[in-house]
Amino acid sequence: MSFFRRKAKGKEPERPADAKASKAPVSPHSPSLSGRNHHAILEAAGPSHVAISAISANMDSFARGRTAILKKQPSHMEAAHFGDLGRSSVNYQIQETRSRLSKTVDQILRDNVALPYFIQFMETRSAEHLVRFWLEAESFRSTSWSRVRAHSLNSVKHSTLAEPAAALGSPDSPDSPNHSSRPLNLDEGDEEDAFSSRTSSRPHTPSPQDTNSHSGALMSHRDSVSFDGTAQPGTLQLQPALRSETPTRQTSSRTGTPVKGLRELSDKLMKSIERDAVNIFTKYISPDAARPIPITEQIRNDIVAKICGEDGQVDPNCFVIAQSVVFSIIDQQHFTEFLRSHYFCKYQIEVLTSGSVFLADILFCESALFYFSEYMEKEDAMNVLQFWLAAENFQDQLAAKKGQYDGQEAQNDAMILYDKYFSLQATNPLGFGDSVRMEIESNICREGGPLPDCFNTPLRQAWTTMEKVYMPGFLSSNLYYKYLSDLINSVRVDEFIGGNANTPNQGWTQEGERNSSVTEGSHVQLQQGTKKAAIKILKNFDEAITVDIASLDPESLYQRPYAGRMTFGKVNELGQFIREAEPEPDVKKSKGSMFSLAMKKWVQGNSDEAQEEMAWKIAKMIVNDVMQQGHHGSPEVKATKL
Amino acid sequence: MATAPYNYSYIFKYIIIGDMGVGKSCLLHQFTEKKFMADCPHTIGVEFGTRIMEVSGQKIKLQIWDTAGQERFRAVTRSYYRGAAGALMVYDITRRSTYNHLGSWLTDARNLTNPNTVIILIGNKADLEAQRDVTYEEAKQFAEENGLLFLEASAKTGENVEDAFLEAAKKIYQNIQDGSLDLNAAESGVQHKPSAPQGGRLTSETQPQREGCGC
Repeated sequence: MSFFRRKAKGKEPERPADAKASKAPVSPHSPSLSGRNHHAILEAAGPSHVAISAISANMDSFARGRTAILKKQPSHMEAAHFGDLGRSSVNYQIQETRSRLSKTVDQILRDNVALPYFIQFMETRSAEHLVRFWLEAESFRSTSWSRVRAHSLNSVKHSTLAEPAAALGSPDSPDSPNHSSRPLNLDEGDEEDAFSSRTSSRPHTPSPQDTNSHSGALMSHRDSVSFDGTAQPGTLQLQPALRSETPTRQTSSRTGTPVKGLRELSDKLMKSIERDAVNIFTKYISPDAARPIPITEQIRNDIVAKICGEDGQVDPNCFVIAQSVVFSIIDQQHFTEFLRSHYFCKYQIEVLTSGSVFLADILFCESALFYFSEYMEKEDAMNVLQFWLAAENFQDQLAAKKGQYDGQEAQNDAMILYDKYFSLQATNPLGFGDSVRMEIESNICREGGPLPDCFNTPLRQAWTTMEKVYMPGFLSSNLYYKYLSDLINSVRVDEFIGGNANTPNQGWTQEGERNSSVTEGSHVQLQQGTKKAAIKILKNFDEAITVDIASLDPESLYQRPYAGRMTFGKVNELGQFIREAEPEPDVKKSKGSMFSLAMKKWVQGNSDEAQEEMAWKIAKMIVNDVMQQGHHGSPEVKATKL
Repeated sequence: MATAPYNYSYIFKYIIIGDMGVGKSCLLHQFTEKKFMADCPHTIGVEFGTRIMEVSGQKIKLQIWDTAGQERFRAVTRSYYRGAAGALMVYDITRRSTYNHLGSWLTDARNLTNPNTVIILIGNKADLEAQRDVTYEEAKQFAEENGLLFLEASAKTGENVEDAFLEAAKKIYQNIQDGSLDLNAAESGVQHKPSAPQGGRLTSETQPQREGCGC
């Protein structure tokens, strides 16, 4: 019996066995169920199949890794010296660590993985033009700036001509698309893809007037563009085009007109900006556009003025105001619903089953943290988590004050943490080394109070410990699987109800940027129906782990309820012959009317399901029986629920 | 507390909120350790504690997140409200101001938790009857007006501390049974687990359906 159940201590050997046991029911029972049931389960299980393979992949590597780590580190971190496990894979910077599972509007708009889900969601609300406008306007702005910069560098080159050809050398990219195709590449279709690589070019500032400045600037454009590994045909073609264009121009006109070549190029750049601006204007802003964005007449006129500037130049920031209007509409009217929609759940599932889940994803997302805390408690490592939470919160609130805080108060707070976790008489010692302790002491006793980075070193150690020692186990644990299943089930329930994301009777008003639950369906009955289906699938896995002796009596397998009479039948008072013996197996019972059949089905549920249930029960009883053979002193069995 | 694994069928997430100094950490400590911390320091950010209790024959583990009451921690503690199945909103019966601030705590709780979250109002320090500043009746009325459970308790003597957590748990469990709380939603604040040997029950929430079946 115990071999199906998990033990508290002695984690490593049980866990892979456990996990395998949880996977086992899929295989041995599929032969006993009809093949089509098994497929139906898998189909309905859908992504959980994905989850299973993700977890099994994790588990194999975990099983190996955990043994290695356990040999190095004692399992009770508090007792031993808190080893410094070095740097974690995420360079621990407080401000930068955020969960991919918790998103703000800004983050979603810049995240290639989340964006498609968001656009799908917006399509269901007929509001996707808002998102598309924002994205196109944003990419227009950043590319315009880079084009303007290229243009102004060209002008600089006019005045300080010296060794132009030599400076540029030979470009490594042979691409030289024609000019007319360039702007088309920029607005065609892949705004979202091209966008992320373009934003990187935004913060780049042009280098000073140097003979090499032109190529230098272009090269760093190129580098910053190509940071995104996948080839972006739209953008990359622009930059090498510039590089390859200019030398050819140079060499061809080296005889005396390099200036003219550059000027032509600049003109083309400016024209392309203008073309893009007009494009966006016609699509979204002009009153007779197909899907105009809701902006006031005043803003519209402002944009027109900025596009048709006095000096013939288009202001790259012409759409910024409209963008912010659209942004706030998205934020206020649509975003909270998105966080509750099954599209967001799907995105979370994608992140979680991508094979690389980071500790930040878990710790900064409340629902994942709920499961992770339970895991840490089971591992007797609550203190590490508690410390991390407390110190992180302390530093967060201090940093948020931007230097305007009461040093004494901060010091008192820090002392509380010190007394609890660091001091030699600590109530919850984590075993930090002396050097760390002394560093903390000096940080706390600093003149003017501690700074918001005062606990960075032990925080980094706690983080790395959680990441290296506990997270792998968590990701392969049943808890994590349960969390994923919950997410997946939320999606399934929602989709079944028809993606009905609006539940007006539950007025949630939130500051909600954090991820949220899926909506609870409007009809509880419907929900229960689908819940039944969902639970059924999960049950197969959960139940495999605990097979109760008490609930199932194997004796009922062998009982013969009808064995007593040994007569064929008798004649009752109406003169009818009542059969006593069991009917022959291939004789069908009277079907009864359609109505009664329908009633039976409704009351008893799908007969397939009932059969499946029976098969489960019987299988369990058999197992039980086998187990009982082994245990002679098994407890008295009560009557079963059959 | 040492617990055998899978000794419980559910985990409920609770949060404890309220002004500083009302006794949130002491309530938690009394509940989990059965001891009164006479001079405990104020909470930095959040802390959590757990304990298993029994509701309707089911063993339920409570994962209780105790938040800091200081205003400066308000922003960070807000992120822990989400996904709570139950919330204990605590005030101090000897300090009227802590009662007056309940409106803002309640707003936060309603906004940041889900509509099915069970909120229970606790008037702590009931042992200090001589210094009482808020009457039982008015708090009771406030609770009724806002659809909250209400109890006066004392972390020092232990009076009603268990009941506080228990009442909320009962309500949550009832919500699960009648289906108004969707167990499978990732943010219900409830983890449900396969139950340990408890005389014939495999998974409890399918029981209502099973009883309807005409086997």
